[in-house]
Amino acid sequence: MTQIRLPAARLPTTTSRTIPTAYAGILASVLAATVLLGAPWPAASLIGAFLLCCVPAGAGVMCWVDAGEAAAQAGLTLAISLASVAILSAIMIWTAAWEPHALLGLAVLSVGSCAYRLRHGEPS
Amino acid sequence: MIHQLLRREPAAVTEGRGRPLDLVPLDLASKRSPRGAEDRRAIPIVLTLLGAALWITGISLLHPSSVGIWGLLASANAWFLLAFPALVLGFLLELRRRTPRGWLLGLNLIALIVAIHGSVPIIFGAPEYAWVYKHLGIISAFATYGHVTDPTNIYQQWPALFAAVAAISSLAHVAPVSFAAWAPLAFELADALLLFAIFRLLGGERRTAWLAILLYEGLVSWVGQDYLSPQAFSYLLWLAMVLIAVRWLRRSPTVTGGRLARLRAPLVAGAPAPAHTTKAMRALAVVLLSVIYFAVVAAHQLTPYMALAAVGVLTVLDLLRPRWLLALLAVIALAYLAPHYQLISQSFGGLFSGGSPIANASGARGTYHAGAEATTAQIVRALAAVMWFGAFASVLIRRKALGRVVIPAALAFSPFLVLFAQSYGGEAIYRVFLFSAPWCALLVSSTLVELRFPRRLPLRWPLTVCVCLAVLFAGLQGLYGPARVDAFTPREVAASQWLYTHIPRGSLIVMPVDNFPALEAADYNDFDLQVMPSDPQLGASWLDEANLSQVENWITTLGHRTAYIVVSRSMAASAAYYGAPRGYEQLVAKIPTVLGGGVVYQDADTTVYRLTL
Repeated sequence: MTQIRLPAARLPTTTSRTIPTAYAGILASVLAATVLLGAPWPAASLIGAFLLCCVPAGAGVMCWVDAGEAAAQAGLTLAISLASVAILSAIMIWTAAWEPHALLGLAVLSVGSCAYRLRHGEPS
Repeated sequence: MIHQLLRREPAAVTEGRGRPLDLVPLDLASKRSPRGAEDRRAIPIVLTLLGAALWITGISLLHPSSVGIWGLLASANAWFLLAFPALVLGFLLELRRRTPRGWLLGLNLIALIVAIHGSVPIIFGAPEYAWVYKHLGIISAFATYGHVTDPTNIYQQWPALFAAVAAISSLAHVAPVSFAAWAPLAFELADALLLFAIFRLLGGERRTAWLAILLYEGLVSWVGQDYLSPQAFSYLLWLAMVLIAVRWLRRSPTVTGGRLARLRAPLVAGAPAPAHTTKAMRALAVVLLSVIYFAVVAAHQLTPYMALAAVGVLTVLDLLRPRWLLALLAVIALAYLAPHYQLISQSFGGLFSGGSPIANASGARGTYHAGAEATTAQIVRALAAVMWFGAFASVLIRRKALGRVVIPAALAFSPFLVLFAQSYGGEAIYRVFLFSAPWCALLVSSTLVELRFPRRLPLRWPLTVCVCLAVLFAGLQGLYGPARVDAFTPREVAASQWLYTHIPRGSLIVMPVDNFPALEAADYNDFDLQVMPSDPQLGASWLDEANLSQVENWITTLGHRTAYIVVSRSMAASAAYYGAPRGYEQLVAKIPTVLGGGVVYQDADTTVYRLTL
């Protein structure tokens, strides 16, 4: 079976920060989606919405990249997530195709990326 | 010589191999009694808990009416005032230990940031600053209609932040006004996280990074650019760009070759070697940086050019690769600007509003009212001057190995380049301060950590404590000084919401003072909101509000048969604080009698009159 060779697979990642990032990405994505789709309380939904904006997209990228420092790993996860959500939301506004629930797609992609990272372990 | 006060530099620097700001192991815990220092390990914990407890006690005793014209600090109780020194002392005592505990420093810093930026939201219970409500109006419009509703509104044409917050609001079914008050706290915590990572990469020593964060929180607190705004959002993303650049795109400058290389050689001598990376990682870093930069470009008008200035300086100094990154970022910025240039031209006089940096740095024009406003303004001006002087001095005393500080120095002083092009509506100097502050904090803190005094004169830590407390309290006065003016009560917000839901569409709303939570409704554009032309801070001011016939004539010229005049607690506070507009109190007293205004809404903080013209 031929394995797909991702560009990031050649990066000098270590498990010390990327693996926790992958777990955090999966946890945040599942939690955010569950809360947003199921919780009846606005306060819980708000936490879910912030979680969706602050973690999944960045974790999906940073689970492949070791920033070399826990604060850098967390900070870049946050910033990439916020930038992704901002760009996608702006595109929805520009195209007049406003569907905020489409942002849940970020959670799906993040789970896929993080799970692939965990399944295949240390990149070659 | 001043530089002799610094601890002796290791041979690596003089040999040109370079090192970060300070990798010198610090003998900060007392050499004479290390056991005694370790025995006192509980003191920082106690001080941190004490600071938190003092703040909670102090804040619980404060309420909006207790905040006077001199601001929150002058009106606060002793518990509140003592909380900050307790937290700072706890932090610095922990930092002084041989092996500072990161978790405790982190907790202490979080407590300090919560105390600084959580106080006003807790006391007043509503988002601060009138202009935040304009942003809430854009967010509400996006959440309600899902597209640009007002193409002439500059905010709607840079929609990245507003669209993101609208998405959060829509997903959670929660109005943005209910969480906007906490934006400063959230942005500051996120900024601190990113800055700590950058400072670690630039400074090397954890102690320097922690101290720089503490200084930064004091320095930047007054500038008030962390509320729910594109500036706060794009600033956060800019810090992420710096982090990516410093981590993966930094390189050792070439000091041999052409004339430019020879010119920059003394500037980059002793520059630390960049961290190991690979070609693939650098390529991914460029992609990530460009994506984040696009979010910045789509969110804010000024930040992309602040970023270009910094990236440009680092590229010229050959500290950043690839060189074409600068061109790529410029293309992204200009490609977005081109179709929106007319709006920029109307709002800021084009990309180049004026070539005089002194005029561009002169700040907002307005009245300078003797008293609270003038005093607070002087304090923050002095703070800014001390910050830049301190940073410059830190660079100067490392003149023999400038490469050690070249990156923070370039980032600290490159924002001034913007002053050669833009006044940004009088705001440019504040943004220069904002973008300069982190790197100035890093430069000053590295100097404080490295300062060396004779053993009989152990002044380093007393000096550090004094600097940190002075900076923090000056910054707090800048932040809290206008709190009575800038903050609103839930009653004022409710009055504004009543206005937009109860008066007919197309109605004229008149504000004697431009300080009210207006324009926060999704349909803000359906109403004709006018501010009386009586405040020099807003441009042409010819109307005397005490002259009722003049006021009535001006309202008549607006072409409506009915007008709704709003007066409020925050308007009165603003008029008293700035000394403008004049005649506000007389106007409020005479609206029901001379102008014949009938009250249509009233609570303890706001009254809305309806005038039939």
